[in-house]
Amino acid sequence: MFSYFIKRLLYALPIAIGVTVFVFSLVYMGGDPLDAVLPDDATAADVQEIKEIYGFDKPLPVQYIRWLGRAITGDFGTSIGTGLPVADELGRALVNTLILAICSALTGFPFAVFLGTLAGYNHGQRADKIVSGFAITGVSVPHYWLAIVMVIVFSVELNILPSLGMGPGGSEDWTLDWAHAKHLILPVIGGSIISMGIIARSMRAAVAEILNQEFVRALRSKGLSESRIAYHVMKNALPSILGVVGLEIGSLMGGSILIETIFSWPGAGFLLNEAIFRRDLPVLQGTILVLAMFFVILNLIVDISQTFVDKRIIRT
Amino acid sequence: MSANINKPRTYWQSVRSRLRRDPVTLTCAGIIIGIVLLSIFAPLIAPANPYDANMMKRLAPIGSPGYPLGADELGRDMLSRLIYGGRISLIMGLVPVFIALIIGASCGLVAGYVGGRTNMLIMRTMDIFYAFPSIMLAIAISGAIGAGIENGLLSLTLVFIPPITRVSETITVQIKSLDFIDAARASGASNSRIILSHIIVNALGPIFIYCTSLVSVSIIIASGLSFLGLGVSPPEADWGLMLSTLRQSIYVNPWVCALPGVMIFTTSLCFNLMSDGLRSAMDMKM
Amino acid sequence: MKFQARKKSKEPMKSLSKALRFENYLPFRKSGYFSVVGTALAALITFSSSNSNAASTVTIGMTAADIPVTTGAPSQGGEGLRFTGFTMYDGLINWDLTKSDVPAKLTPGLATSWKVNPKDKSKWIFTLRKGVKFHDGSTFNADAVIFNLGKIKDKNSPQFDPKGAAQIRARIPSVKAWKKIDDYTVEISTPSPDAMLPYQLTWFLISSPTQWEKVGKDWKKFAFKPSGTGPFKLTKLVPREKAVMVPFKDYWDKKRVAKSTLILRPIPEATARTAALLSGQTDWIEAPSPDAIPRLKKAGKQIVTNTYPHIWPYTLSYLPDSPWLDVRVRKAANLAIDRDGLVKLLGGLAEPSTGSVEKGHPWRGNPKFQIKYDPDEARRLMKEVGYTPEKPLKTKLVISTSGSGQMQPLPMNEYIQQNMKKVGIDLQLEVVEWARMRTISRAGATTPDQKGFHAINNSYGTPHPFNTFVRFFHSSSIAPKGRNWGHYKAKWADEIINKILVTFDIDEQNKLCAKLHERLVDEAAWIWIVKDLNPRALAANVKGMVPAQSWYLDLTGVYKE
Repeated sequence: MFSYFIKRLLYALPIAIGVTVFVFSLVYMGGDPLDAVLPDDATAADVQEIKEIYGFDKPLPVQYIRWLGRAITGDFGTSIGTGLPVADELGRALVNTLILAICSALTGFPFAVFLGTLAGYNHGQRADKIVSGFAITGVSVPHYWLAIVMVIVFSVELNILPSLGMGPGGSEDWTLDWAHAKHLILPVIGGSIISMGIIARSMRAAVAEILNQEFVRALRSKGLSESRIAYHVMKNALPSILGVVGLEIGSLMGGSILIETIFSWPGAGFLLNEAIFRRDLPVLQGTILVLAMFFVILNLIVDISQTFVDKRIIRT
Repeated sequence: MSANINKPRTYWQSVRSRLRRDPVTLTCAGIIIGIVLLSIFAPLIAPANPYDANMMKRLAPIGSPGYPLGADELGRDMLSRLIYGGRISLIMGLVPVFIALIIGASCGLVAGYVGGRTNMLIMRTMDIFYAFPSIMLAIAISGAIGAGIENGLLSLTLVFIPPITRVSETITVQIKSLDFIDAARASGASNSRIILSHIIVNALGPIFIYCTSLVSVSIIIASGLSFLGLGVSPPEADWGLMLSTLRQSIYVNPWVCALPGVMIFTTSLCFNLMSDGLRSAMDMKM
Repeated sequence: MKFQARKKSKEPMKSLSKALRFENYLPFRKSGYFSVVGTALAALITFSSSNSNAASTVTIGMTAADIPVTTGAPSQGGEGLRFTGFTMYDGLINWDLTKSDVPAKLTPGLATSWKVNPKDKSKWIFTLRKGVKFHDGSTFNADAVIFNLGKIKDKNSPQFDPKGAAQIRARIPSVKAWKKIDDYTVEISTPSPDAMLPYQLTWFLISSPTQWEKVGKDWKKFAFKPSGTGPFKLTKLVPREKAVMVPFKDYWDKKRVAKSTLILRPIPEATARTAALLSGQTDWIEAPSPDAIPRLKKAGKQIVTNTYPHIWPYTLSYLPDSPWLDVRVRKAANLAIDRDGLVKLLGGLAEPSTGSVEKGHPWRGNPKFQIKYDPDEARRLMKEVGYTPEKPLKTKLVISTSGSGQMQPLPMNEYIQQNMKKVGIDLQLEVVEWARMRTISRAGATTPDQKGFHAINNSYGTPHPFNTFVRFFHSSSIAPKGRNWGHYKAKWADEIINKILVTFDIDEQNKLCAKLHERLVDEAAWIWIVKDLNPRALAANVKGMVPAQSWYLDLTGVYKE
């Protein structure tokens, strides 16, 4: 078991390096990194001088090594836009995105797992059809559109839910009370609707498949109570639950850009959107890198915990 | 699927008969064919020129004379624009998946069939791109190389190659381990012959079904890119860009502004339902 | 005191009515749970408002995606200077933003007077204001000015701020050297006589050297505990979320002591801003989208607009392959545009533009060429050149998807595209992001990757002669040196501009500008389209806002009833 963990870790390493190369090269694909932030009347000499200040005048491999060296120690440079360290900004933003992701994962995901299980148990019956209908709607809906519709209905017309930011105190003194929770409702629904659909669908398929297997029939014929059988079914479905939930938590983090922009939620997606449009390279690089690394680690955790739950799954 | 592989004729017959008894899938296929036809023959079908602005008719409500689905923020006929918009939205939904299918399936087949180092090289490279959630990867690439249809197509294609490769590889490995491949090999068939005549034939079905479910993802992400201003450039418009520009007018005429969203939703829902239907008709588990 | 007492008695009533409304809208209003929540909410509102002392608090939704830099070298262009510049800081020279009926003029700030040395016109003497205190209590004097010049312009000074320099140094290009004459007199010299220096210096704000020492000589830390001489002082900064600024009671100009606490919130999304104002999460939003105006009015919000120095033109290429070299084509394009239609498209939040400045402006002059909507004349001109709607002139125009001052570039340009088609000009839109637009506009039309781009649609601020004329029409400003993107080159224009640059008498300067502008319009040097009206939407109870004819605002008089 232990050697498997080590193997799995070593296997994640080249991926991580590949990710850094990709992220670094990404931001050099379009235009000059500084143009967006310089004032209108900057002269060529000004531009050159400012390039030197930021180190953009060095050859790319040198810039990469420097950037990587600093990134490993948690230093992602300073934002061109704000002049603040990217690590600070990103740290704050990630916490905010995590709040959103965790709330989605704690409220929406168990609900989706429950619905999926329900549908799997009642395969082909009315409950299944209703759940499947909801699930496929969730998977197909453009969530940014849904978010706008919700803002119009609940914030503007009914004025019962806020549409902006994290709450009265902002992210600084954020606590989980009603005043702040209110701000979570719409972003959580908008952000997790697709993931919930995917989870419910996977759960339904997994449960239906397991119920179809020999061993369940064998257990039934042995006269085991339904609740005991359910325990076995869930135990067998656990690896797939873990897999899909892990993947969807990653999607919540990475796909947050649209939802966070619509709700002005000061998270990583909001930061990324602004970095793209202002071509704030250090922020862009840092944000994508950290989110991707988060995803790599998440995959690692999912793989390992899947093996932990079911020893038969050992991936090579 | 394994049980049916050796008897393709009866298998496809049963698939057909199962599909015939599935009204939902048939309806969805019908809607998709309808949307595709509307898009192809847009110049013949659309009642008006989708680019003709008329400020007097700005944001006319649904059902206005001459504007059956209302008019947009420049007074252009919504019905015609939705028909034309379908062209780009469908292209953005289908083309990346199709190109990714060709590239990804080839990589997957080779990786799965050859195995060893080749497999490792291909699959580890894919894993790098797999480390990004799909929406983020698309946004990151488009954000870096700039807006435009070509760039959007490129970034979406890159997004879909890794998952298709992964699925193809898994399927190829599965098929490779089946008895009839060993039999073919024992009878002296060459590698290329085995790949061509057995593996591709048997793997393509499941890979294809998987890809139909990606089309809806592609449409949603592509519209999302346009929505952020990273997709199509005007005056051409896909549903995502229409949604994005009309969003400013949502207080004037919410129903007209909701239409592009409804189109994205309908199309992606139909592709998903059709994919589900095909999958169960072909008795496949992904 | 009276004011305060009345306010307190009113507050519970207000929150009560809000609670009632809140409940009314609920689909299941009989449920006890929600009324509990409603009461809790009411209590919360009462608490937070009774907490905020005598001064009211006004929350402003900005278009920027982040709080502009707070160190006295604001980022985010005009919006930055408006909200984190002139609020917390003063320049040596300020804009007079207290009037809304005339274009904003320069007014003494931390310098009480400034004059050019009559013997050597490249040297300026600034007499500084006495008795001015920074927010940290230290005193403003000549040393502070010298310190701040080093911060922006001198790479070798310990207080050099590279990020601040990136924002500000290009705004004050004419500052070459500086010298303290005594504690309240400073001399600044320019490379050659330059009458534009006072305008440039409005971008140069003075921050406190003492505070910089106190926070460990670190501008990043200074950003969280800044200290200027301005009417507001920062008490809290949460990057990308909010900045809280409270009135500075000891402000030197007693007429401009702030009445309210301001909270700045970055909300880049126009629809999100509108929703925030409608749901009461902000009291004031910048640049509401035109289509939201009727809804905002219906909800009782005030819509404030005024003309200000902004133009939204097509800047033309004068390279040999450009179709715009023919004055008839330029005139036809100017006549082809239905500007009133555009204004309608923008919900009335714009006005037609018939030159770089409009009638009544001292730089307007008396151009003979009347810019208006005359498609017949446009068609006639185009036919004369050899183009018709059936056989149109094809030309490429670069537009951006969004950007500061760009208004609604996509629908507006699509609309103009339709207009032009009718007179025989097939405008092909090359759509780029804002960042790329800036690259293009800065690099100039001769850059290889701009081949075939014959016009760009970049909006500009035009508060003074340099920004309005010099940088666009002088041959020495040809890109990449200056902003003359299309390589406009005319001997007569160079001559007038050279005179403007050394004319220190404002009236004389204005006359020269008028002469220049008159001829530019007669030659249809650009295609002038519309001007923005700088719209803002305010809650009904926000008072005291003066919409100056400027990119900036005096926020000191603003308060909430």
